Amino acid sequence: MKLKFHSRIYLGIFFPLLLLGVVNFFVVTMIMKDALLEENRNRGISIGINLAARVTEPVLAMDFFRMKALVDKTIGLSDDIYYTFVLDAKGEPLVHTFQDGFPVDLQAVNVVSDNQDYNIRVLDTGSKLIYDYAIPVIIDNDLLGTVRLGLLRTKVQEAINRVMLSAFLSTGLVILFAGFVGTVLARPITGRIKILHESSEQVMRGKLDSRTSPVLKKNCWEIMKCGKHGCPAYGDVNHRCWYIAGTLCPSCTEGEYAQKIWSCKNCHVYHKCSGDEIQSLAESFDSMILSLKTHLSELQNAEKTLKEQRQLLRTILDSTPDFVSLQDLQSVYQAVNRSFCAIVGKREEAIIGKTDLDLFFEDIAEKNRRENLEIIKTGNPLKNQEEMLTIEGKKWFHVVKIPVHDPDGNVIGILWSGRDITEFKEIQTRLVLFQKMESIGQLAAGVAHEINTPLGIILGYAQLLMEDVPQDGDIYNDLRTIERQSKICRRIVADLLRFSRHTERTESIATSLDVNQSIDEVVSVVEHTYKLDRVEIEKDYYPNLPAFRGDKEKIRQVFVNLLNNAFYAIGTDGTIRIKTSIDNKNDEIVISVADSGIGIPPEKIDRIFDPFYTTKPVGEGTGLGLSITFGILQEQGGRIEVESPPSSAWDIESKDAKGTVFIIHLPFSKDKEIKEEIIDGQNISIR
Amino acid sequence: MLKKMLGSILICLFLSIGCNQEEPTTIVDLSKKEQLGRKEEANLITYAYLPQYSHTVSYHRHHLLVEYLRKETGLNIRQVFPETFNKHMEMVALGKIDISYSNPFVYIKIAHRYNARAFVRVVESYGQENFRGQIICRADNRLINRISDCREKRWIAVSPYSGGGYLYPLGHFIAHGLKKTDFSVVDFAPGPGALQEKVVLAVYAGKYDIGTIREGTLNLVADRIDIKKIRVIADTRWYPGWVYAARADTEPEIVEKIKKAFLKLDYDQNEHKRILEAADIIGIISSEDQDFDPVRELAAQVGISLQE
Repeated sequence: MKLKFHSRIYLGIFFPLLLLGVVNFFVVTMIMKDALLEENRNRGISIGINLAARVTEPVLAMDFFRMKALVDKTIGLSDDIYYTFVLDAKGEPLVHTFQDGFPVDLQAVNVVSDNQDYNIRVLDTGSKLIYDYAIPVIIDNDLLGTVRLGLLRTKVQEAINRVMLSAFLSTGLVILFAGFVGTVLARPITGRIKILHESSEQVMRGKLDSRTSPVLKKNCWEIMKCGKHGCPAYGDVNHRCWYIAGTLCPSCTEGEYAQKIWSCKNCHVYHKCSGDEIQSLAESFDSMILSLKTHLSELQNAEKTLKEQRQLLRTILDSTPDFVSLQDLQSVYQAVNRSFCAIVGKREEAIIGKTDLDLFFEDIAEKNRRENLEIIKTGNPLKNQEEMLTIEGKKWFHVVKIPVHDPDGNVIGILWSGRDITEFKEIQTRLVLFQKMESIGQLAAGVAHEINTPLGIILGYAQLLMEDVPQDGDIYNDLRTIERQSKICRRIVADLLRFSRHTERTESIATSLDVNQSIDEVVSVVEHTYKLDRVEIEKDYYPNLPAFRGDKEKIRQVFVNLLNNAFYAIGTDGTIRIKTSIDNKNDEIVISVADSGIGIPPEKIDRIFDPFYTTKPVGEGTGLGLSITFGILQEQGGRIEVESPPSSAWDIESKDAKGTVFIIHLPFSKDKEIKEEIIDGQNISIR
Repeated sequence: MLKKMLGSILICLFLSIGCNQEEPTTIVDLSKKEQLGRKEEANLITYAYLPQYSHTVSYHRHHLLVEYLRKETGLNIRQVFPETFNKHMEMVALGKIDISYSNPFVYIKIAHRYNARAFVRVVESYGQENFRGQIICRADNRLINRISDCREKRWIAVSPYSGGGYLYPLGHFIAHGLKKTDFSVVDFAPGPGALQEKVVLAVYAGKYDIGTIREGTLNLVADRIDIKKIRVIADTRWYPGWVYAARADTEPEIVEKIKKAFLKLDYDQNEHKRILEAADIIGIISSEDQDFDPVRELAAQVGISLQE
């Protein structure tokens, strides 16, 4: 378990002191003990040498009185001198300090040799320890005798014990005092650190209103007596002025803490108000929280703005019909818009981080990668038109790939955008076709006009000749062939002329017509012929069909063409069903002409409205019928659709379950007042 | 961390315990006691040097000579150390000194009182068998230049029994017209021993204006004071030197043996030279009581009774 800070302070103070105290106790007591013993030893030596010097003359004089006086005086010097005596050169005692006789064991227990200045022995009497000193009495290198001195160890031991007790008590007192000082020092520090810790925890929980430092007692505006109420530091008793940006103090550098602190450190407000390290830490922590709060608020505002701008940008990108994507140098998608997602058929999350290989077929992905590498290499943008396979099928796009540069001009990615130009391409195709048809129409009109006159002459003369020759002769048959072929030619020429007139936007006369009636008029003409081949016409008219404003003759031509095509497709034994209805939603009259014929192969259905396209044998059709029909309906504001085979909604009983249905939509108007105008050769109804 | 701290403390404890070893002891029994008693030595010949110096100096000067006599005569001769001149004379009277080595003044007293008899006397280190006294003062004392300047001055002498240190200078003062009463103070050096040196030191310290010593004393204190700061005002006339005298009851054979041994000493022999130089003499010659009559005359002249 980790120790807490105050425990560390206690231990940091207590243990070194305890260690120091223990070491100090033993070292000091040991040194003191040695010193005391040494002192005692030296004292004994000193006393002994002194006595030996002083006893020399009495020994020489054999002055026992003086010798006795000297040894008695010596023993009186200190309580711990247990005995003193003098031995002569032979080791016989001369005088001593013992009361009731000389202890004989002492006589020879400590002998000093010739080369020694003294000798010390520790004697154990059983009850006491005695330091016995033997000091020779020498004169002119002659040994006159020996002085013996006995010092009790008890007194030294008492001194040692006193030293040890003093050292122990002083060490204990120092440790207790240190513990008290540690408590006094640690408590405010740990208390303030605890407050800091709690504040930091609150900050981590997002509560930025916590305060760590106490309310300030000395305030800058009181010290400076500035009276600047507009200063942000004025009246703020929670933060030091050097932590507050934008203060109005004349000696203060402008800016935030980092810019102004150096000038603030020279200010006497700083010197008066700055606290100790913990106080400074608490104040700076409070200021940091304040700064954090401010920056957080700014950050939140910036984030909100950024989010709004990002949303706006996203809306713009998603609103544009063009697809837009951003790839990095490895062709990994970094961003895409909604159109791109629609093309790929995946959600944005499934695209971001993927490459072309993950989204497209391999050949397309490799082509894209090659293009990307070329753009990265050259830095040149790429523009072209591509047909792409999308989730909705093949579509044409105008594609632009632009290199994206960083601020240093390095290519960091590729912006790939594309615009759907499928309709444009179709219109373009139709425009080309229209131009081609117009040229063909002009050519056909010219040819028909030039051919029509000689053809009339050929037909006329052939018919005149037929009247002049017998009908059973070969010449008549030949003339009849000429007549028949000339009529075919005349019909072809008539078709060409109609086509050319259509392409030339011949004038149309718009009248209000009943579609059901127009159909009946056409049906009445062809019905008899069709019945010969057992082709029935069924009619299913919508009653009270609104009137359609258009060119009556051209509409009838449309119905003729459609019925002829249906009859041709059936051949014999079939049904043609004509149905009229209303599409109120689009304000249209819907006319369907369904047959039970052979139907149109799927590969040919797209071309049936092309001029000169026919499935009939050579000589049986010009391929202009449906083309003319298409042109008339377009001119009259309608449109035509084809289904082959028709859906079940048309209820056609086909021999081989095929058949075709053509559906015509003609607009009708609810406004009864219609002004008819012919504008610029085009039959356009303006309401 | 705690373990480390406790470990450190334990190591310190072990170290301190290891360093705290007791000294070896010897067991003694103080209960076995006996009373002291000294036995008198038989046939002991005591030899004493008049304590004009400390016992140590006396021992230093004479222990080789005593050792020589012991060997040469085969007698049990031991040097003894009387504390004072009086004590010396008393011990001669009491028979505690058999061979007395004293100055002529003491000799004429013990000869007069206890019948001690001179048998040899010494030749001083400066080559004479006579010696003289000196009157000294501090070298920087401008008031004393002549004997007559000593009047009313403070005088310290060696001892009332000193020849060179008192008797001879006193005779010299009297010869120059100064009586003992002409001095403001006449003191003697405090005993015991080292009396000659104490006189020099007292003058050197300025405690006395003049001092009287036997010639040769200044050299003895040259290692303790700067003797250039001591000036010799005057020297006395020569008198017979130090003398060996035998106690009256001493057997003549013993005296003769000792005399022979003394006279045998030859300064030219290295061994004897070492002995003689230690005693600050260069030879010993035969002597008789009459040799000291000039001293007796001087004592009578200055009014000193030999009986006192």
